[in-house]
Amino acid sequence: MIKQNANPILEIHDLTVSYDQSPVLWNVDFSLPSGKLIGILGPNGAGKSTLIKSIMGLIAPSSGYVKIFDQDLDKVRDKISYVPQRESVDWNFPASVLDVVLMGTYGKLGLFRRPGKKEKELALSCLEKVGMTAYVHRQISELSGGQQQRVFIARALAQEADLYLMDEPFAGVDMNTETAIFQLLQEMSQSGKTVIVVHHDIYSAVNYFDWFIMLNQHLVASGPKNEVVTEELLRKTYGGKLNLLSKVSELIRQKEFNPLKE
Amino acid sequence: MEDFLYFFSFQDASIGFVVLGITLLGIGSAFVGTFSFLDNKALLGDAISHAILPGICLGFMLAGEKNPYFIVGGAIASGGLATYLSSWLKENTKLTEDTIIAVILSVFFGIGIVFLTVIQKSGNPEMAGLNQFIFGNAIGIVERDLWIYGILSLGIISVLIGLFKEFQLLVFNPEFGKAIGLPMLSIRMAFNTLMILAVVIGIQAIGVVLMAALLITPGAAARFWTDRLKTLLILAALFASISGIFGTFVSYTLPQMPTGPWVVVILSLIALLSFLLAPKRGMLSRFYHRKKYIDKTQQDHVLKSIYKAEELGKSGLGLNDLLQIYPHHKKGILKSIKNLEKTGYLFINHNIIKLTKPGKMKAKRIVRLHRLWELYLNEYLNIAPDHVHESAEKLEHLLTPELEALLENRLNFPKLDPHQETIPRDHDDI
Repeated sequence: MIKQNANPILEIHDLTVSYDQSPVLWNVDFSLPSGKLIGILGPNGAGKSTLIKSIMGLIAPSSGYVKIFDQDLDKVRDKISYVPQRESVDWNFPASVLDVVLMGTYGKLGLFRRPGKKEKELALSCLEKVGMTAYVHRQISELSGGQQQRVFIARALAQEADLYLMDEPFAGVDMNTETAIFQLLQEMSQSGKTVIVVHHDIYSAVNYFDWFIMLNQHLVASGPKNEVVTEELLRKTYGGKLNLLSKVSELIRQKEFNPLKE
Repeated sequence: MEDFLYFFSFQDASIGFVVLGITLLGIGSAFVGTFSFLDNKALLGDAISHAILPGICLGFMLAGEKNPYFIVGGAIASGGLATYLSSWLKENTKLTEDTIIAVILSVFFGIGIVFLTVIQKSGNPEMAGLNQFIFGNAIGIVERDLWIYGILSLGIISVLIGLFKEFQLLVFNPEFGKAIGLPMLSIRMAFNTLMILAVVIGIQAIGVVLMAALLITPGAAARFWTDRLKTLLILAALFASISGIFGTFVSYTLPQMPTGPWVVVILSLIALLSFLLAPKRGMLSRFYHRKKYIDKTQQDHVLKSIYKAEELGKSGLGLNDLLQIYPHHKKGILKSIKNLEKTGYLFINHNIIKLTKPGKMKAKRIVRLHRLWELYLNEYLNIAPDHVHESAEKLEHLLTPELEALLENRLNFPKLDPHQETIPRDHDDI
């Protein structure tokens, strides 16, 4: 069940991605409508983060392409905001909460220019949106997991983008933070922003998102909630990896080169 | 002392030059080194500094004398080759980073030593000063060297200040930098170039073997004192300059003494002092806080024991009875009694210890926290009553008034703990 869109905000065409040759995403092909809160679902190792990273151009695909706002990624980077996984950075880095949120303004500043008063005000207003005003000057290693996640989201807000890609923003956060973040995401999508979120928990996902992408090394489904959240599709997504696919991956891994690469 | 005054009054212009040079060099290498230390790439600097030796020798062979342009050029070339090789090996082989660094360091340094021996056997009269590049000799810097090292240092410092936010992103979250469209690959290359240059400027003054210390130690020492990147860089620069100047001074007073080892000795001293004395992170401060905490727990135990005796209807607790409750902490208990008496929480009458009014309040609070926590563990965590004491014994010293209020609320102001003992409140009798 893959529902395509006429004027997609994001179009992914036959994307195959490999790590060290072995393919982790097979021929993913879908398009997304704008202004929706979109969840990427799938079991561990399904390629959810890989998909987000290839959309952001952080991993080069073996084949296929990504178009955002009907353009190449590099032309529209200032309209896209990215929240990496919280564990992907070293939180002992000597920086304050404000320092990290200011990084969201670096893209528009470009090389050499320093963030000034305007950027600082923007960063402070983003911190207010995530309820972290009280922690502006706190050293980032002294924050709890949920607070660190809020800081990352504030940094993404400071990018002032139209499309938001978030890698597991609900991972390891407390219930309060989860609700607060979800409300914020809802407000964003109501004001016309498109928000794509990698999420691991199916039970809460059903309440959170209105469009779903279901992955399990290949695309199982992409469509509105009422059409794709079915027992059959969920079983296809979570019911174990396709045995044949794993065997082919193994075969490719043992080659000296990557035959899938164009 | 005379030497000291002569050196630091800069009457001799050449000393002024050398001090200026070593300060610039210290600031430049501390800046670069601090970033690479934060990036967990401390060893890369060591590999590069060893790897420039063959370049220095080749530069010398080509020029036939100690020409700084040839030597710096050769050093940059072989440092660049080493850096390129290490990232190539990382991408194209399955070798781990530490293996790659060990290989690069030993292979290049080995070749360098071979070249050095060849030069020494050649009988070129100019080669006398070449050994200085191994351990450094700041006094050997002449004006011609100073220009090239000084300009390179200023270049490094200004690029680092100009690209401060880019390098910050490079270390903290390069993937995010790439995602927002900054040319992270070029920024990484710029940083690697600065790293090579920072090593190269140090070869004359510090020497290839010890240059890594001047890169990494200042940042590592400064990290004990601050949580802010800008302060960290300033402190690191300060540490590096101080030790650089002092090392030069030693080389000046004792002519045969190489500069590098002395710089490293001073730097290590600063690092050691930071490790011991820094507030919050330093060993002494941690030791002091731990000691204070242990003193507090022992005082708490004394107050609690007297309170429990009074709870049983006695009018106080005998000194010997108290010591018997804590047979392994006699010294600490006696000290605690003395301190508590001084602060007015208890008084001793004919060897019987009694609580004063404030003492009783304090004791009640400790016992209350103990019993509240026991009840909480029992009711909310389903832990059996005979398993809750140990944990309460620790947390009674820790719980804050806010947490106490929260516990009271959750448990709805309970009267009894899981052992059916009364939870004391401020307005109770006894």
